[in-house]
Amino acid sequence: MSTPEIDLSVAVGRIAMKNPIATASGCAGYGEELARFYDPSILGAIVTKSITREAREGHPPPRLAEVRAGMLNAIGLANVGLEAFLNEKLPALAACDVPVIVNVAGSTREEYLEVCAALDATPGVAGIELNVSCPNVKEGGIEFGLDPNILSRLVQDVRAKVSRATLIVKLSPNITDIAVTARAAVDAGAEALSLINTLRGMAIDPWTGRPVLTNVIGGVSGPAIKPVALYMVRRVWEEVAGPREIPIIGLGGIQFAEDAVEFIRAGATAVAVGTANFVDQLAAPKLLEGLREALGRLGCSSPLQLVGAIVPC
Amino acid sequence: MVTESVNVQRDTSPPQRLDLTLVERRQAGRDYVRLVLDAPAAWESLPGQFLNVLCESDPRAAVGSERRTLALDEGGEWPLATGLELGRRKWPFVRRPLSVSRVLRSGVNVRLEMLVRQVGSGTRFLAARPPGTPIDVVGPLGNHFTLPGDDRLCILVGGGCGVAPIFGLADWLVERGRACVLIVGAPAFEELPVVFRETPPATGDAVAPCSGFADPDIDVETILSTDDGSAGFHGTAIEAVRRRLKDMGDDRPIALYGCGPERMMRALAHLAERRGAPCQVSLECFMGCGIGVCLSCARKMRDPASEKGWTYRLTCQDGPVVDTHDAVWE
Repeated sequence: MSTPEIDLSVAVGRIAMKNPIATASGCAGYGEELARFYDPSILGAIVTKSITREAREGHPPPRLAEVRAGMLNAIGLANVGLEAFLNEKLPALAACDVPVIVNVAGSTREEYLEVCAALDATPGVAGIELNVSCPNVKEGGIEFGLDPNILSRLVQDVRAKVSRATLIVKLSPNITDIAVTARAAVDAGAEALSLINTLRGMAIDPWTGRPVLTNVIGGVSGPAIKPVALYMVRRVWEEVAGPREIPIIGLGGIQFAEDAVEFIRAGATAVAVGTANFVDQLAAPKLLEGLREALGRLGCSSPLQLVGAIVPC
Repeated sequence: MVTESVNVQRDTSPPQRLDLTLVERRQAGRDYVRLVLDAPAAWESLPGQFLNVLCESDPRAAVGSERRTLALDEGGEWPLATGLELGRRKWPFVRRPLSVSRVLRSGVNVRLEMLVRQVGSGTRFLAARPPGTPIDVVGPLGNHFTLPGDDRLCILVGGGCGVAPIFGLADWLVERGRACVLIVGAPAFEELPVVFRETPPATGDAVAPCSGFADPDIDVETILSTDDGSAGFHGTAIEAVRRRLKDMGDDRPIALYGCGPERMMRALAHLAERRGAPCQVSLECFMGCGIGVCLSCARKMRDPASEKGWTYRLTCQDGPVVDTHDAVWE
């Protein structure tokens, strides 16, 4: 059997990706850390750590705990702030031949608008991912992400400030029906959706009785959340993204090429690898190679042929 | 390549993900094992640097030859060549940061010694690996201890598994002609990560050099301390340091180095402060990634430029070795 020529390229909004594999926010730093292990330009896109207007120290440690089949974190949106990001971090990242998607968090509407406008005016930024779903920071935007009316107003206002970069809204899974917020975001002008952010969780030391994280509550990530994420991608694809032709960046516990295929079949155009980067710094290049092999095995010439493709039971 | 000028500092290797073959495993006291890994000939790391080690709970998953992927018609997993190596590694999930204890060179062979205390599922798994097994590591990571500015006496203090980098530091300082005293502390004799030729005597409130180390074979004046007095000095390692300094007289300049529990490092920092001595310690910290991405291993460090007087620094990148005068001790 001859292997079909495989074209891995996909588009998320106006972002042309060489392949569907991106790094997830907070799991690839500002690109330079992983660049010690492989050339980031092989990726479809890099999504940065959340950027806020001012620099943030983050929560007091412990900020991270291992849980069964995953991790719990409450980093607290620690980041260098908009100005330092633009001056010190972005230039090196933008010099790589890879689209840069900047994740933006805020505590007020004004903060979101200011940061998004500044990023939209910066040529090295291909996309803006609105973080309206950080589960462990009071002012981390989650109040914008759970109420469809508030979300809708925020996305509309940001939309008015963002014309060049592709606007992506990252949805929270900490909600009864994710299709509701997905619809609100798309109606308000989101060009793409990424889902899911971490699930709220906690861990307690059984002997001392103390919560493991200083912040008590954290976000669960890793393979433990994959079935939840996959379902939510499917739900959003069926209800909103599929009919409206809005691309989804699917993420949540992706570790292997098979996981990526599952997310694409559920409805994702691209996928992001997050926590797996911590366990294996080469997770993204391995996924890329594995995805190519999987598509060959399935006789597909493009991952786009599989988007949303599940077979009825 | 083995001999080199004392003053030339080699650059360390860039961090890499490597499968290093476990060539030897030795019991080191009741709670510890020493693992010896075969490293590439070009390996360069300095004392204090660490490896981030992948652990698994399923012993079958660790043996390279058994890491075979099943074909579809075998009813197994999807036989993708890539991405699957981690397939059966479900728990523990994140890597374990472990100090390189010693770097042993003989000809072109480079071997890394690690000291593993069996505390949880990951370290227990690691300690049980049979020789011949590949160990998946990322490293060398982090910064390292540095030489004192002059020929002052170096006092090296290790507590529990904190002695791991201290042994390698002793090798490194001795190689560079520095005078060292090594102080190894543990709660009790059987908790010392050392194999002795003969049982060391209990010396009560006197500090006396202990001979009779069989493993590690370190040729440095070594003082033992145990909290319960079952071997060596009766008291904490820090009390042993104070006693040793008192015996020596206060005139000789010293440099302090340490690795051990937080409380011990804090006490060492206070001692250094009072004596006006330089002091470097290696900090222990749970890490999500070890490469500066997850931002979980944040540690408060003094920062006069910041309003609060401190800022968070990452133990994996700005550490694990810190100057105690720069750290905030709570």
